[in-house]
Amino acid sequence: MDIQTLTLALGDSTHAGRTFDVMPIAGEEPVLQVTVSGAEETPVYVTVTDTQILCLVYLFDEQELNPERLNELHENMLRISVPMPLSALGKTGDHYVVYGALSPTSGTAEIMQELVTLAENAIDLLQTFEDYLA
Amino acid sequence: MRTVLKKILTAMRGGVNELGEAVVDGQGNRILEQELRDSEHELKQAKQELAALMAESASLARQIRSEQDSASKREQDARKAIAAGQEDLAREVAERIVGHERRGAELTQTRELLQQRIAGLKERVQRAEKQLADYRRELQVVKTNERVLRTTAQIDTNINSQQSSLSTAKETLERIRERQAREEDRQTASATLEKELTGADLDEKLKAAGIDGEQDAVNSVLARLKDSPAQ
Repeated sequence: MDIQTLTLALGDSTHAGRTFDVMPIAGEEPVLQVTVSGAEETPVYVTVTDTQILCLVYLFDEQELNPERLNELHENMLRISVPMPLSALGKTGDHYVVYGALSPTSGTAEIMQELVTLAENAIDLLQTFEDYLA
Repeated sequence: MRTVLKKILTAMRGGVNELGEAVVDGQGNRILEQELRDSEHELKQAKQELAALMAESASLARQIRSEQDSASKREQDARKAIAAGQEDLAREVAERIVGHERRGAELTQTRELLQQRIAGLKERVQRAEKQLADYRRELQVVKTNERVLRTTAQIDTNINSQQSSLSTAKETLERIRERQAREEDRQTASATLEKELTGADLDEKLKAAGIDGEQDAVNSVLARLKDSPAQ
């Protein structure tokens, strides 16, 4: 699965009643911004490497968080990361992210499932962790 | 692997995650890739050597068996010669037997040495395979890390150029709440419309006013029945 194939496949597919709006992100790396209908606020960024298809959604930045409750938030993020379907929580730079990694041999159906789940999980997580924002 | 993970974490904590400051730089990657290729090469060589030695060992085993077979066959000949009183012939056969036994012993010794080399080589192959898997895993971590850093930098640049700034979590939450409220309104509206279309809302209003069509119908049937009592 490469970025071009994925762009074309997502453009005219629906999955579980969702449609996908795909926009390439300009730059050296092949990155897509995928907006899932019904979860437009949390776009999913997709990049394909030799070993995996990486999908991630930004949740919040470190400076948006209440510093006094950071440990509690981290603890809760670690705990919730395990049962959350197809997603894990992580941090890259200052961004806290929810992400999922798929095998590069995954088909469109699996990728769409991942995108929908990830976008919905991101919304649930934002609402769950809202109290930790500064 | 531990070293690579520690390097990545140390660099991250130090805030060295800007583009162009990749944690394990390109040079490091190339070294890892070279090590990977060397390991692959060594593994291939070791496997070829192993295959050759195993073939040689199998061939030796065949030769040893053949010497043993010949010796035991000659033993029967020697016994027959002794039984026939042919002492000289028996001695000649016995010399042959000694020859077979000596060659068999020599071959067995050679094969034992070979078996030792094979065992050592098998261990080397296993080590190389493990090493190779380790290098592949390390390289994957390093490459993925770099990719994530470059990708997020690219996303940030892009978002920043499109909007005044990356929208904050609070703004996103506000937009989510607005959409959820809109969806709720839409659901309420469509439930209302559904009632209107089926006339369910009118029935509800009539019932509330004490006017119940169903009840009226029952009453009128009852009245009719009473007017025409059974004969």
